[in-house]
Amino acid sequence: MKSFRAVPTLALAFVALLGLAALSLAVGDARLSPSQLLDGLLRRDEFAATIVWNIRMPRLLVATLVGAALSASGLVMQAYFRNGLASPGLLGVSAGGAAGAVVAIGCGLAAVSLLTVPLFAVAGALAATGAVILLARRGASTERLLLAGVALNALLGAVTSYVLSTHTLTYERNAQILFWLIGGLEDRTWEHVWMAAPVLPAALLLLPLGRPMDLLSLGAEEAQSLGVDVRRLRRRLLALSTILTALATAVAGTVGFVGLVVPHILRLLVGPEHRLLVPLSLVAGATFVVGCDLLGRASGDLRLGIVTALIGGPFFLWLLRRDER
Amino acid sequence: MSGAAPALSLENVSVPGRLRALSLSVSPGRLVGLIGPNGSGKSTLLAAAAGLLPVAAPGVVRWGGEALERIPALERGRRAAWVPQEALFEFGFSVRSVVGQARYAHGDDGAGVDDALVRFDLSAIQDRPVDRLSGGERHRVLLARAWATGAALQLWDEPLAALDPRHALETLMLGREITRAGRALVFSLHDLRVAHCLDEVVVMHEGRLRAAGAPDVVLTPELLREVFGVTARVEPGLTLFL
Amino acid sequence: MSRRLLPLLLCLCALTGTAAPAARVVSQTVGSDELLLAVAAPGQIAALSHLASDPAFSGVAREAAAHPRITLGDAETILRFLPTLALFADYSRVELVEQVRRAGVEVMIFDRYKTLEDAHANLRRLAAELGSDAEARAERIVNSDTARLAALREKLARAKPVRVIAPSTYGVIAGGGTTFQDLCDRAAAENLAATLGGLRGHAAPPGERLLMWPIDRVVLAGETVGAALAPYRRLPPYQFMPAVREGRAAVVPGWMLGCVSHLRVEAYEALARALHPELFAE
Repeated sequence: MKSFRAVPTLALAFVALLGLAALSLAVGDARLSPSQLLDGLLRRDEFAATIVWNIRMPRLLVATLVGAALSASGLVMQAYFRNGLASPGLLGVSAGGAAGAVVAIGCGLAAVSLLTVPLFAVAGALAATGAVILLARRGASTERLLLAGVALNALLGAVTSYVLSTHTLTYERNAQILFWLIGGLEDRTWEHVWMAAPVLPAALLLLPLGRPMDLLSLGAEEAQSLGVDVRRLRRRLLALSTILTALATAVAGTVGFVGLVVPHILRLLVGPEHRLLVPLSLVAGATFVVGCDLLGRASGDLRLGIVTALIGGPFFLWLLRRDER
Repeated sequence: MSGAAPALSLENVSVPGRLRALSLSVSPGRLVGLIGPNGSGKSTLLAAAAGLLPVAAPGVVRWGGEALERIPALERGRRAAWVPQEALFEFGFSVRSVVGQARYAHGDDGAGVDDALVRFDLSAIQDRPVDRLSGGERHRVLLARAWATGAALQLWDEPLAALDPRHALETLMLGREITRAGRALVFSLHDLRVAHCLDEVVVMHEGRLRAAGAPDVVLTPELLREVFGVTARVEPGLTLFL
Repeated sequence: MSRRLLPLLLCLCALTGTAAPAARVVSQTVGSDELLLAVAAPGQIAALSHLASDPAFSGVAREAAAHPRITLGDAETILRFLPTLALFADYSRVELVEQVRRAGVEVMIFDRYKTLEDAHANLRRLAAELGSDAEARAERIVNSDTARLAALREKLARAKPVRVIAPSTYGVIAGGGTTFQDLCDRAAAENLAATLGGLRGHAAPPGERLLMWPIDRVVLAGETVGAALAPYRRLPPYQFMPAVREGRAAVVPGWMLGCVSHLRVEAYEALARALHPELFAE
């Protein structure tokens, strides 16, 4: 019954994404008029073109990529661990990204170049990913992987806290660190877009894995008995999920809640079939983050991570209540 | 040896701490019951036979005469079906969708799914989410899925334990139908009255194969006392506990 | 080039040299707000930072109220004022600076601001961008500050250094190499966090040993001693500190403790007056 709703939901999410994207190009502090906006889009006016193409467009694209990445990554984690409460940060990947970024800021490297901090974030996230995959290679069970994730999260959290507690030099530097811990999209540039762009091929690789994810989400042994190469599938899922999370963290900090709540909401709306959930989570995740960013900007620059939790939390609770009836 | 290769054969199969150098052969068309006390290794044997547990060298598991490690993952899904002892579902897939997973290895062709739903009395609840079903209903979903694979080797772990008498009886009859079609079915059970209607029983004790053969031959009061620690009177086709 | 045009061109150059160039400046930090208001012609100021009119942080709160202020946000909040020059500090978010620079706006980043000499260098650097009037104003300020500093030094020549610390409710205190250390150096004060504690930068104080330091006064930001001390009377470990219990505090306006512009001179004088009232009696 629920699968009837899948195609309309996908179409709706896509239309909403386009609408919100248009709106986020139109709205901003520079208060461009509709005709200025058009001039900017067509590059007929230099100032308007700068605002539209160099400031609003990269921000929009980064929001889209980050939303798609986190939501799909969360979906994969939930299928992998057979638990609707799993999130992209479960294995310490985003904590690794945040620790990398915070260490770079704490060492005063942030001002060196635009990409120093994102590169440190990627390095931190990849180090965490490497540790996780190494563990998985040794044939660790999901429980052990989960516990390793808890330990890794604690360890990396300690690194972040250490830098925070010893480098409370200036209000502004703390604000930079907070940017990475709460997550935000301010002043994203085209470099950030290119940096996050591998989200697209990773998403493409994920699309054909929807069906085996169905089987895996009901049990690894059962999936294997039905013909799924579980070890290979798990390796791929783990690699894709951590890469998606690492990229998102590198360009926007640790944005919470998207990866947990978007897949969950979609499951309540259209059911648990991953063939539908994978494409839907990519589009709906992007829609959710672009929408949250827009709302945050409209309400006086609330940070993205705050808005995602403020919007996602109550909506999630409402859906849970509705689902109970 | 004459005729077709055994549907399932285990040669010297050991699983550290759980199975010790066990050898067993099941011919096509046989209905085989696996009995033994709790912890005797029945589930381990079934999982190892299904290729879900690594088997210590030099043990070999063969399906239709072919060593398991040479059968690719997808092919395995077509050749054997396994039903776990516990039916736990985290996500709310519909009954129909879970039964349909049987056809994953066949390119999701959906063949035989309707038939399986009817045979296991699931048609009326085919759109219900599996995480809202009773324990017995969930087991029937898994059995229907195994049925729908059409696999030549069926390995079921305690399929009857959670079922009411009617569904248990129907399941047993469906099992007989499977073997009549030339496939092999091996399943574990505790009800020794049922054991007498099977082609063969395999008795497990402390990770070893204690005895195997026709029920009336294997199930002696001496063996039952030794393996289960119970006193029983055995007559042809019936075991009575005293 | 024609011979007749050359004198005309020279003339034009001279003219533009004397008149204020049509610069439009946006300042993103309070420190640069203070510099900008000191040297720019009013027409050259496009917008000030979001904290410019907050007396807790800004020494020019009243003057700043007359100018537009940027909000927190992204590069658009700066670019919408169509600036030709934007002022940042080295702690400004690098992405923000880069976006403004890429929009074709000249960017000036202040990266040394801990002492008065740094502030004067920054003042001159900014003035050089704003024309000769601004440069003249900058020189006047530097000269006047130098004179005030000399007078203060003379007044404090024989003052016995007052032993102080600058507590904060954030769990850190200012050690050596901070703007507070510079204030102490100029106002005849000994910052015990640096001399006894050996702390560098803003760091956590050494718990119990802090209570044994011979503190003459605690230096606080605020209006009155009572109000400024109130939170510390309930906050361990400060609540157990004799100086706090006995109300021995020197209070200066909030913005002075963090001031990074030439207005530091006022902070030196204010702290010196608060710590050595007898020398300023007359």
